[in-house]
Amino acid sequence: MRFAARLCLSVAPVLFAVSLITFFAIEVLPGNTAEQLAGVNATAEQIERLEQALQLDRPPWVRYGEWIGGAIVGDLGVSLANRQSVVSLIAERLPVTLALTSFALALALAAAVPLALISVYRPGGAVDRTVAILSMTGLSLAGYVLAPLLILVFAVQLGILPSIGYVPLSDDLIGGIRSLILPATALAVPLLGLYTRFLRGDLLEQIDSHDYMLAAKARGIGPWRALLRHALPNSLFGLMTLVGLHLGALLGGAVIVEQIFALPGIGQLLLQSVNLRDITVIQAIVLLLATATVLANLTVDVLYAALDPRIRHGRA
Amino acid sequence: MPTGRLSSELILSALLVGLMGCSGDSAPASNEVEQSPADGSELTVLLDAGTVGAWPAGLDPATNTTAGFNLTLMNAVFGGLFQLAADPEGSNPRIVGVLAEGYEITNDGRTLVIHLRDSVRFSDGTPLDAEALRFNIERNIAAPCACAPIRWPWAEENRVVIVDNLTVALNFSRPYSAAINGLPVINVNWPASPAALAAMGEDEFRVRPVGAGPFRIVSNQLSSRLELERNPHYWQAGRPLLDRLVFQSIASEQAAYLALLAGDAQVIEGVTSTAIIEQAKAEAGLTVTPQPPTAPYVIQLNTSIAPFNDARAREAIYLATDVEAIRQGLFKGWYPAAESFTGPGGLFHAAEVPGYARHDLDRARALVDEIGGVEVKLGTLQSFVAEQVVTALQSQWREAGIDVSIETVDIGSLIQALRSREWQALLQTVGSYDPESGSGVTLRFGSGQLFSGVADPALDALFADAASATDMHDRDALYTTAAKHISDNRYAPFLFAFSPTQIVTRGVSGPGLTTPIPPIAINTAVHWQDVSLHHQ
Repeated sequence: MRFAARLCLSVAPVLFAVSLITFFAIEVLPGNTAEQLAGVNATAEQIERLEQALQLDRPPWVRYGEWIGGAIVGDLGVSLANRQSVVSLIAERLPVTLALTSFALALALAAAVPLALISVYRPGGAVDRTVAILSMTGLSLAGYVLAPLLILVFAVQLGILPSIGYVPLSDDLIGGIRSLILPATALAVPLLGLYTRFLRGDLLEQIDSHDYMLAAKARGIGPWRALLRHALPNSLFGLMTLVGLHLGALLGGAVIVEQIFALPGIGQLLLQSVNLRDITVIQAIVLLLATATVLANLTVDVLYAALDPRIRHGRA
Repeated sequence: MPTGRLSSELILSALLVGLMGCSGDSAPASNEVEQSPADGSELTVLLDAGTVGAWPAGLDPATNTTAGFNLTLMNAVFGGLFQLAADPEGSNPRIVGVLAEGYEITNDGRTLVIHLRDSVRFSDGTPLDAEALRFNIERNIAAPCACAPIRWPWAEENRVVIVDNLTVALNFSRPYSAAINGLPVINVNWPASPAALAAMGEDEFRVRPVGAGPFRIVSNQLSSRLELERNPHYWQAGRPLLDRLVFQSIASEQAAYLALLAGDAQVIEGVTSTAIIEQAKAEAGLTVTPQPPTAPYVIQLNTSIAPFNDARAREAIYLATDVEAIRQGLFKGWYPAAESFTGPGGLFHAAEVPGYARHDLDRARALVDEIGGVEVKLGTLQSFVAEQVVTALQSQWREAGIDVSIETVDIGSLIQALRSREWQALLQTVGSYDPESGSGVTLRFGSGQLFSGVADPALDALFADAASATDMHDRDALYTTAAKHISDNRYAPFLFAFSPTQIVTRGVSGPGLTTPIPPIAINTAVHWQDVSLHHQ
């Protein structure tokens, strides 16, 4: 109950502010949905007819008021461009983005943790230096640079993975996973670099600055066991925070990666909607992403409390 | 409504083309393999997400505002009353009946009579007869859509008349013989099933419309993926040759090309990147088919405001523009130079216009000095080709002492600038197979038109007469006079006639894919009913 109350108190003002800013940011962009849809051959009269049909000739605050009134009671409206329900458009696309970002996050974390551990086992050694170079390279590679290179190697040259398209996991589990490997890797590599660098630094700080590590050594606990049993659990708090704070960047990366791999996800829908100034769809997606970000950060807080009794009992 | 392109695309393109070049096969392209089409054949076609691969308003002809861009999708689902066809080498372009058996122009050009084929059925099994066609045309005209054919000079009364069960007459207020050439690119060409519309309702019909074309819709994810299957009620026995056809929207030509090489697709429609086309030509497994150009690039000048309300400033732009350098430097001379609104693939083409002001840097500089300097804002829509060209123009014009800033905009920003009448110079394309249809010459040069920078009653009269004339020689003479009038008044310099290229994998063949057909609008309208895939 406390969590739910806290959630509502946290989310409601954020969503209201986000919706207001988004609406008027789109409003001040040049062009409206009618102009975008009308295309290069339209006459001025045709554009005016379309503006009237889409009710874009009404003042912006009237349109915002109408939208927020509907949103409060759960009616997110229909797309201005095609009259399809916004909820159904999002429901169609959300599973793709969820699968992509979850897969990318899992890949990044699964690789970052062992890489950081082997780095700090012998700081400054050959392995540490190699991992440092690899993680800095990953950190420097944007997804849109990496993606075509992955396609070239794994789809064109080796022919073992598809270059475009998405197979729903519910239709074909293996096919679905294969369709996600390259896009998820393109999204995961920059995150992997970031997480590895961060976790390595935090682990070193645990080893160098905390008495419990010295005590573990004094008790004759081996270096691997000390790392895994004592340093890593403490360092995971920082990593969790980083993951939560980075959710926005992950979703931003997904927008680009979905475009390159022709994945019909939320990112692709958002980009198409921004190009069309399709405000009802944009508002709904932005609210969804804002909610996800707030929820992720609240979840991190809750996990903190679950993992650390000092926080749970208010002593930290 | 083009999507924004990734800023790194050019660099990445060069990198990838270089990498692929290392492993490329230099054998010549070839495609003509005589085998019977494979059973269960399926083709995946990649379309540019920014133009032909965007159908945000759905595919209902009455509400699809981007139908002119989406010709390939519309023809696959709705077939078309008429299509543009050509001989196998791309010559002798002509309008042919598909769902219609033929047409007549009567009443001195004031009436277009359309004869439907007997026993054509929509993919839901209901008949395409005169009443269904009349219903569609009236619905299209009434639709609050930029795709509505309201620019046609419809008669005040009896504009669409049923003559008999298979014949419909379209009546105009004045002679309009150009109608038949413009028909394949407007929504009148794509009749939809009235019964399916009534059963589904307008909103669902946008997503799953029912036509009488060679394919019917299996699934439609707007501006993303359209999956089609053979229409069992298609009128032509043995057609279509494919069982399934998938259109996949893709963000860049580089990604599309890699998907083709990876075997994840078989066709890329409308490729414009010279690097990709060159690379594809060197691949043994690909067939590259350039289309005969119909739409020249033009630099529209706004003659109503400074600096181009001064004819000397307009002439300076003509003289400062080195078309040959752009043709050779950017496009290896592939696209022919243009001095008017026609291209060699279209009707009434004139390669040269007498008295046209060609490149002369010294005269351009002298004119700029005489005026006391010229400052220009040059805009264009976001596109790979256009952005290269405006950058070249900026460099050339600066050599003549013209101060140029360039602005790349999306369609909404462009329309706002056009509505405010504050724009100065725009790089656009003009014309199509018939100068009157598509992004037609009237749209770019007619008085009072949103996309025009010219207000000249004499030019308006020439265009109106040319659109009305029933004799092709008369139309030719009128358009020749109009081209000279534009040139003499230095209204807008033309650059080169451009057309995109089709790239397909070995085994794919069909009209408009592996044989050229002039683009009737943005891209060539492929005859999907005749496209086949032979397993190698």
